[in-house]
Amino acid sequence: MTTSLAALAAPREDYSYAFLDAYAKRELRRRTLKAIAIPGYQVPYASRELPIARGWGTGGLQVTLSLVGPESVIKVIDQGADDSVNAANLRRFITRMSGAATTTDALQATIIQSRHRIPEEVLQENQALVLQVPDPEPLRAVQSDSSKAHEMHADADYGQMWLVLYEQLVRYKQYIQGASYPSLVNGRYVISPSPIPRWDTPKLHQSPHLTLLSAGREKRLYAVPPYTDVRPLEFEDIPFQVEDQRGWICQHTGAQNKFMNEIPLADGTAAYELSDTGYMEKLSAEANGSTRGATYYDDEGNFYHAGYLKPPVQPD
Amino acid sequence: MTHPIYTDLEARTRSTFLALMWAFSYPGRIQTLPVGAAFESIAITLLDLETSYFTPDVSLSAHLATTGARALTPERAAYHFYPELTPAALHTLERANPGTMLYPDDGATLVIGAQLGSGETVTLTGAGIKTQQAMNIAGVPAEFWALRSQWHFPMGWDVYFTDGQQVLGLPRSTKISF
Repeated sequence: MTTSLAALAAPREDYSYAFLDAYAKRELRRRTLKAIAIPGYQVPYASRELPIARGWGTGGLQVTLSLVGPESVIKVIDQGADDSVNAANLRRFITRMSGAATTTDALQATIIQSRHRIPEEVLQENQALVLQVPDPEPLRAVQSDSSKAHEMHADADYGQMWLVLYEQLVRYKQYIQGASYPSLVNGRYVISPSPIPRWDTPKLHQSPHLTLLSAGREKRLYAVPPYTDVRPLEFEDIPFQVEDQRGWICQHTGAQNKFMNEIPLADGTAAYELSDTGYMEKLSAEANGSTRGATYYDDEGNFYHAGYLKPPVQPD
Repeated sequence: MTHPIYTDLEARTRSTFLALMWAFSYPGRIQTLPVGAAFESIAITLLDLETSYFTPDVSLSAHLATTGARALTPERAAYHFYPELTPAALHTLERANPGTMLYPDDGATLVIGAQLGSGETVTLTGAGIKTQQAMNIAGVPAEFWALRSQWHFPMGWDVYFTDGQQVLGLPRSTKISF
């Protein structure tokens, strides 16, 4: 009788599927459902240890791991780029632990995990956008005590946020908050939309896709469901503005009125390139039959929800 | 490349979770649960010893206990399961925890058996719904809608209606009209 090697070997002892154990996944899934049911409310969760350090996307990674399966298609971006070290490492970890396919095409992905950007193409229904959040608390700057900030959310007491904006107008004649622009979700809770540029904040408004925002170090997650109102805080006579990048032209594709990276040159001038590398790839490959979807901002810079962004007004 | 084994249990709980997630994301749209009893799929996906449940159904209660979750009174249970909304069931359902203004996430999740796709037409608006969404549902007495409407966002109950493999979500953010 011959004994096979397989029979002699100990049974395969594996990581849990998608790394997280069953308890971690159930807890995270229970909290995710509550976050979707209460748009904008910061739900606490356990936030397990992962083989990457907190502050490097553990919040987003846990949510992604609770969603991912063998048929999923994953896109991971860091500041718009699919090829940065952080994005590449997260992507490799997710696929090793789940067998999911990967893509750089925002419209092919079922799950998009992102650090601080939303792709330029309009995301579709049944796509999940997972945003990594360093600081989930929009009231942090005005209330350092998180218990008191929690009470202020319960009371919808956002007066101090308006004061911050007013002080910015008095000092600088414009809203100077660049990223994490505070926004009112579903008319009830103010959220930090994570440090996405102002350019991306309107993309959360009445979007077909689901957005999950998760802060691993702070152990809180919150959601913007599809087709939900998201309004950046603004005074009615001084509207919220996105970054003014008119005249910035991508040096690789010639695209304009999309969010650009500014590349300083030796002579003191600057060159520009698309921040969304997946979209840049599509534009470059268009001759080869690549299809691109509609974008949130058209080539003239008009946002796809007409009337949502108002023309700029300078205070006197 | 090899990856950790995607077990049958893992597949069932994950696809149940995805159905529940999209059911709350798009309230009123019917989602499909994996093969198996709907209540059992939901129980094994969400319940364990860190949470609690209530059900008036004795045989279901014994089954839910196998997840390790605690059976608590209607006021304290995080998850309520009603195979059918009888007048007696409404009597316990009305005691379900709606959460507080400070901790709305303490509000209970209700899983209710109903008949989807027939019966009265209910119109839904709110987060997750583009303009409005119609849903047809039978087996839900009028008293239930009155009980649900006593809470105002962010307090309230998050409801799943199941019918065979179908599940439909009605989170607290959804407003209803007839």
